[in-house]
Amino acid sequence: MAKIDVNIKMYRVGELGDCFLIHFTDGTATSSVLIDCGSFRNGGPSVERMKAVAADIKTQQKMAGGGPAPFDVVVGTHQHNDHLSGFVHAKDIFAEIGMKEVWLSWLDDPNDEKATLIAKGQRKLVDKLQKISALLPAMATAGLTNTVGEPSAADHINDVLGFYGLAAATADSSPAVPQDGINNLKSLGKKVSYLSPGQILDLPGLAPGAVKVYVLGPPRDNDLLFDINPGKGESYESKLTAAANVADGLHSALTNFDDGQTLAEEGFFPFDKKFTRSLTDDEFMNSAYKKKENHWKTIDQEWLDQAEQLALYLDTYTNNSSLVLAFELVESKKVLLFVGDAQTGNWLSWKTIQWNNPAISLDSLLQKTVFYKVGHHASHNATLPEYLEKMTNPDLAAMISVDNSDPNITKPNGWKMPAANLYKHLKQQTNFRILRMDGKYEPDCDPKLPEVQKKWGSLFANIDDKAAFVSYTVKG
Amino acid sequence: MPTQVYRFLRGYTLDPGFSTQLDTMTINDTVYRVRWEDLQDENQKDTPGPVGEYFEVIDIDPPSNCYYAPVNLNAIEVLSQNGLKPSEGNPQFHQQFVYTIAMKTLMHFEQSLGRKLIWAPRAVYENDKFVRNEYVGKIRLYPHAFRAANAYYHRDKKAILFGYFKASLQIQGTNFPGGAVFSCLSPDIIAHEVTHSLLDSIHPRYMEDTNRDVAAFHEGFADIIALLQRFTITDLVVKQLSNAQGSLDHFTVLGELATQLGSALANGRGALRSAIGQRNDDGQWERRKPDATLYQSKAECHERGSVLVATFFDALIKVYNYRTADLFRIATNGTGVLPQGAIHPDLAQRLAEEICHIAEHLLNVAIRALDYCPPVDINYGDYLRALITADIEFAKSDEKIYRVALIDAFRSWGIFPGNVTTLSEESLQWSAPDLSEKQEKAMDALAAFLKTRVRDLNSISNRHEVWQKSQDIQRDLHHLMVNEKSAVLGDEWGDLLDKLGLGTKSIVFKDHTGTVIYKNPKVDTPIEIHKVRPAYRVGNDGLVLEQVIVTITQSITVEVDQGNGQTQPVKFRGGSTIIFDSSKDFKLSYVITKHIGSNARFLAQLAYQLNSTAGQDASFTDSMYGNNTGFENINFAHLHFH
Repeated sequence: MAKIDVNIKMYRVGELGDCFLIHFTDGTATSSVLIDCGSFRNGGPSVERMKAVAADIKTQQKMAGGGPAPFDVVVGTHQHNDHLSGFVHAKDIFAEIGMKEVWLSWLDDPNDEKATLIAKGQRKLVDKLQKISALLPAMATAGLTNTVGEPSAADHINDVLGFYGLAAATADSSPAVPQDGINNLKSLGKKVSYLSPGQILDLPGLAPGAVKVYVLGPPRDNDLLFDINPGKGESYESKLTAAANVADGLHSALTNFDDGQTLAEEGFFPFDKKFTRSLTDDEFMNSAYKKKENHWKTIDQEWLDQAEQLALYLDTYTNNSSLVLAFELVESKKVLLFVGDAQTGNWLSWKTIQWNNPAISLDSLLQKTVFYKVGHHASHNATLPEYLEKMTNPDLAAMISVDNSDPNITKPNGWKMPAANLYKHLKQQTNFRILRMDGKYEPDCDPKLPEVQKKWGSLFANIDDKAAFVSYTVKG
Repeated sequence: MPTQVYRFLRGYTLDPGFSTQLDTMTINDTVYRVRWEDLQDENQKDTPGPVGEYFEVIDIDPPSNCYYAPVNLNAIEVLSQNGLKPSEGNPQFHQQFVYTIAMKTLMHFEQSLGRKLIWAPRAVYENDKFVRNEYVGKIRLYPHAFRAANAYYHRDKKAILFGYFKASLQIQGTNFPGGAVFSCLSPDIIAHEVTHSLLDSIHPRYMEDTNRDVAAFHEGFADIIALLQRFTITDLVVKQLSNAQGSLDHFTVLGELATQLGSALANGRGALRSAIGQRNDDGQWERRKPDATLYQSKAECHERGSVLVATFFDALIKVYNYRTADLFRIATNGTGVLPQGAIHPDLAQRLAEEICHIAEHLLNVAIRALDYCPPVDINYGDYLRALITADIEFAKSDEKIYRVALIDAFRSWGIFPGNVTTLSEESLQWSAPDLSEKQEKAMDALAAFLKTRVRDLNSISNRHEVWQKSQDIQRDLHHLMVNEKSAVLGDEWGDLLDKLGLGTKSIVFKDHTGTVIYKNPKVDTPIEIHKVRPAYRVGNDGLVLEQVIVTITQSITVEVDQGNGQTQPVKFRGGSTIIFDSSKDFKLSYVITKHIGSNARFLAQLAYQLNSTAGQDASFTDSMYGNNTGFENINFAHLHFH
């Protein structure tokens, strides 16, 4: 058995998004793995870009003289647009390539009782948020006189809802893109497996035992799955219920701004209607609240903050539900770690996994890690410092799927990706061997500079920076 | 003609939920006594809402797209009945109740501090640039501001927003599934939020998250005030003590905060927070045992805050047990073992009086201690020292049991102040620095200046005028120090400032490797006089203590390398709280410093805010969504999100 080389292509999807094509080569045998394919938005340019990415992937999969070789494995890590949209927009191309196996997390398993329960709760919440989103325009025009000149709260919330590809959706539109993406994967895969932490698989396409795949997340433990700040002793179902309660309340309130839709219960909640008075009556219009000099202390829109918090909560949960895989090249004792967008709770759960072989330890997997796909475009809470410290292999290199021209990053108070402290730490751990999707490097880790190339040493020869992707080869 | 001194207003002692339980229904109503104010404007028109000198209740309910008619507390049918009858279903009672508890809390602060409270001014910005500070007369109270199980102090709006929500549909505790729950009906929540605004007025820099105790202190302190205020309601305490056999080691609702709100949440297992114990996973109530590791290990500010609350509560229990041992001996013929069943009503009454007395003392000291805290970067150890100092000032010749109990409690919870060698009260009490003869003269001159100017302040009843005059004094004091005293002192000027936690010479900070990361480009860092306030307080020996509190600070901005080619500005502050004492002829009695030149403190703040000491916390701390990271102010709206 020869040593196995692994080539990892990080596609430039043009905005925030993940698409990793990986080829494991063992002599003449090759196994191809695609982990995620998506970008943040679903507008025309995004769709075109995803199609181009898929077309390039098809070229990469082409065998000499033959048609495209089907993927041995396609992995969908979690239900976010920026990881799955390609499977919707370029479904035809992926159908032509073919997928021998599809790996999803246990949360996508229709026969898993717990997963179904969680999915139901989550769907309810998404549903509510969609309804809320649909009602917001009415809210914006409902004569909140104190908001002139300020950005509309509705815009703001729609911006946040963009996470789920929900912004443009209305209550009766088709399911959101990420859900479609998962459905497409299920239908395209010849064989679909739903993975749970603790499972160890042989990588298909190679000799059994050549590459072992360890499933680390998403956790089945509710506390860790549903909370990015675990340890408060709250169980997840109840967290989801709590979030749904808040969403219900918001939705109900929003109906107050749309005459036709006002819910009956608003008639006696929170008080009997005999106590309520119109905000446009003379007494109120002439009250201190309405005086111009008091404008700064008004609170007309503060209550809408809740929608934003809910949206953020749901988003974080979805990230945390990422399928996390560690690929071990058994003979050369090297590990490649792909964490999707896993958040703290997911990471923390890894050490609680009961492996069927007592010889397996998380610490040794981390120590052997020579390639790390940085979680969640290098946001602050998608890499656990404790575990990053344990990635001590001298050959460690990392890829960050970040595009710093993404409007989410460039807007005022935009998202902090990569997060400064994490980035600093990553540089230390990898000795500045970091590859970015957008190619925007600081001088201390720009692979084009000779002093940085020195830091890469012999590993530098393994980098291939093309227009469509940046690739790196782990030599066995 | 006799004048009104108090307004009597009915209200809940616990949460409204307790009114529908047999064992608590009789104690859940009480008549609160708050300071009388006319609630009339200069044209003698009633200002319903109510709108008083300090608070303005405005009952707009934006999510319901309506407002509720304001209550007129001066209306004869209201006034004659001690206010409206407690009712969950009447928004006008809600208005009355937030006003009542807010006033009650304010009164405790003004009594303890011995001066009128002036709200933190509003910083006015034009085109994102700070232009001026504006006086704020009233804090707005919005009883029905949004729909969520939450309430928060909005610093920029100078308002407290209370939420309400529909209770979870699960049946748990005394929850009414699907019913409306109002945070503005929980006295704990009101007191807690009002305390945030009061603390912000006294120490505006505590909104800056400079070490992991700061936000926790805000939370913990607000809970302490809420808890202790409850212990001043004697009827409630009597009843609860009878149920608990006179012992605070058993379960009572006294140690719980926001019970109704807590059990109405979908994930609620009882009170929102509990100081003395909690139900374990099996639903059994367990007394919380001191755990010296929590202060080191808990980072989340509510958990950390609860350590401070538990510490305080332990001190209360210690004093209580000590002071009531004799009563128990008498009641049990010396055996110390009470018979089964309820304790004798007389005993319950006596025990309750003790505990109310203790709570009042601790409340007083807890608040007064704020005047003995450094102006920036507080930690729990500083607060212990402030407590000890405040207690000595309050009860110089008195028995030391409060001090001993506090020290003991802090020790058992693993909270130790820095820079002291022993935990004796002598070492913990703050002190004044040794000054040279020349420096002492300079300080005497400052004291003489303050003595006359500040006494004027006390004769002014209009708070706006007090604020205005204070600003003038601050400006003049600044002039006196910088333009006059510095010339007189010559070289010793820098030396004196150094003793006040300030620096004129260039400040240099090095990182852990010894590399210089900051060098103050200016020769002199400007000093800011933050506060000059007199305080007149009565000690328990009957003596009036007259002090002047001055806070002076400096700030510098350090551009810190982020590691991604960009730098980030980090604001670092230092300075001191300076206290002149009338009983010492206005001599300097305490200087409580956080030195601007402290390299160690700077690195600690940097490590905390940038969290470069990876591995200590569960995640990197700079926020993905927030403003420019860890230097952000503490955001109460987010802190309180459940």
